[in-house]
Amino acid sequence: MTVLEGQPQPVQRMSMGAGWRRAWRTGDWWRHLGLGVFLFFMFLPFIITIIISFKDIPQFDHYPFTVTFPLHPDNYLEAWRIVSRYILNSIITSGTSVVGMVILAAIAAWAFARYPFPGREIFFFGVLALLMVPGELTLIPAFLLVKDLGLLNTRWVLIAPYIAGGQVFAIFILRQFFQALSGEMFEAARIDGATELQVFRHIGIPLSQSILGVVAIMHVLSTWNDVIWPLVTLRSNELMTLTIGLYAFRTAWYTIWGPLMAGYVIASIPLIILFAFTSRLFVEGLSSGAIKM
Amino acid sequence: MTTEEIRAPASHATAARPAVPQERQATLGQRIYRYRFVYLMLVPTFALLLTFNYYPAFMGLYRAFFKWDIGLQPEFLGLGNFEKLFIRDDTFIKSLRHVSLLTSWRVISAVTFPFIVAELIFNLRSNVHKYSYRVLTILPAVVPGIVILLLWQFIYDGTHGLLNAFLEGVGLEDWQRPWLGSPKTALYAVTFMGFPWVGGVTVLIYLAGLQGISDEVIDSSLVDGCSGLRRIFSIDIPLILGQFKLIIVLAVIGGLQGWVAVFVMTAGGPGTASMVPGLWMYNNAFLWNKMGYASAIGMFLFVLIMGLTILNVKFVKTGDY
Repeated sequence: MTVLEGQPQPVQRMSMGAGWRRAWRTGDWWRHLGLGVFLFFMFLPFIITIIISFKDIPQFDHYPFTVTFPLHPDNYLEAWRIVSRYILNSIITSGTSVVGMVILAAIAAWAFARYPFPGREIFFFGVLALLMVPGELTLIPAFLLVKDLGLLNTRWVLIAPYIAGGQVFAIFILRQFFQALSGEMFEAARIDGATELQVFRHIGIPLSQSILGVVAIMHVLSTWNDVIWPLVTLRSNELMTLTIGLYAFRTAWYTIWGPLMAGYVIASIPLIILFAFTSRLFVEGLSSGAIKM
Repeated sequence: MTTEEIRAPASHATAARPAVPQERQATLGQRIYRYRFVYLMLVPTFALLLTFNYYPAFMGLYRAFFKWDIGLQPEFLGLGNFEKLFIRDDTFIKSLRHVSLLTSWRVISAVTFPFIVAELIFNLRSNVHKYSYRVLTILPAVVPGIVILLLWQFIYDGTHGLLNAFLEGVGLEDWQRPWLGSPKTALYAVTFMGFPWVGGVTVLIYLAGLQGISDEVIDSSLVDGCSGLRRIFSIDIPLILGQFKLIIVLAVIGGLQGWVAVFVMTAGGPGTASMVPGLWMYNNAFLWNKMGYASAIGMFLFVLIMGLTILNVKFVKTGDY
């Protein structure tokens, strides 16, 4: 079983209009209808959030869920003043940890995939076993550990455990992928005099860009959305990540819905931008059939 | 590093080839020495794993048998924490009932709604439409989880909420209530949030399975006059049991670990009306400093999650098709 073995689906070149006419002819219309209903309800909360984000308090009191004029884009300015710092903190935390995690995981997975060193199975099992350990078991001792290490209320208290924990899943996925790469290519490079490091950097890594991307995105998503760990380890407002920052914002601004909803919208934008650049990778990585039991 | 050393691993890496003779004769010590750079590659990974994963995990298991309050000397209790947990802690017992409801619904909704959506997308004729729908279903998954939780908190809000406004619109004013603030409805509100329960990632996993079914199977089923619902039940579902199994395992784990949602939405309240074990652990540890007792709850969750996962992998058969 290899990851990402599916090639990108050939996309039929035809105009959207022709596609819809064909959909009608082939009886696909009721599938579109069903999907439309699902998608409508999936997106409804977000649409209403955007509508409310442009309202001032009286507008919300009278017409909470319909578009009202004048729009109040100044809600976004107000929200930005509060949320921008949290976004920056989240970018720093997730960005640093994803770079560190991918580098370490790629090196370790390469070692597991391509060298039959003594003890390989035992070491690999040592990594895999951690997939079974839930955060609930480690939360309290990990908290006391970082407290003893004096890391509480610093950036490292998030970054270091994120790098450590993120590796586990990444090594698992990357090893499978590296193993499936053809060995002959590496053999040829070695005959041409490439060192082990060169083989890894100039052949292994370029061939694995897509899967490295998938692993990186999944790590960013999970660290970006983490609530509990930052909540128990961070005290100062200057360091708060987006999740707990928003939580504090909600508590402080309860019932001032306009700026609050604007804050929710702003908070969603960074990941949507990331997704816009990587959607192909993400959708194909998950659709490739590699992820099953 | 000599050429001999460099070439040796390569011959092994191309899997099925027989081992080089001198390799077989090499003693363990020699082989370890030959691969010393590989061990070096693993050092940073394992240094971090030992510090931030293994040490806390073993500490969590160990301290579950202690009375361990911050600032005091740990005191060995044997099974005392567990005895208290299952015999004298009514809130904990109640939280077990709550989490079973939450988890059951998660499993039921994860094997139905996303699968329906996946089938609808899979059966579309146009690849352009297929791709567009895939992107649209995954899009909500990139909205930060906390935003979704806070939005549902707003939907359930007693005075301004969307749900109450909807009930008023359809003339069911009697049903209006502060959904999260009333002990009767808080747990159900938390359980059933996320309507229409279509997780984008789950849809993509099902779709991946459906795309993996070979065209011949589908074509021959069509020739045999098997189409529509019949095909879904006798061909699609049996052929993607692997995906179903994964989704079920993920839903069970997600349900047992899903206490963060409860924490954000209701904090387990009102009172303990929506308390779940994970949150009870958090409260014991971080509100009342009862670290040993909280570790016991953590250990219980660990055993439960592992047990259920093993059961699921073992007894829900994928079968060989």
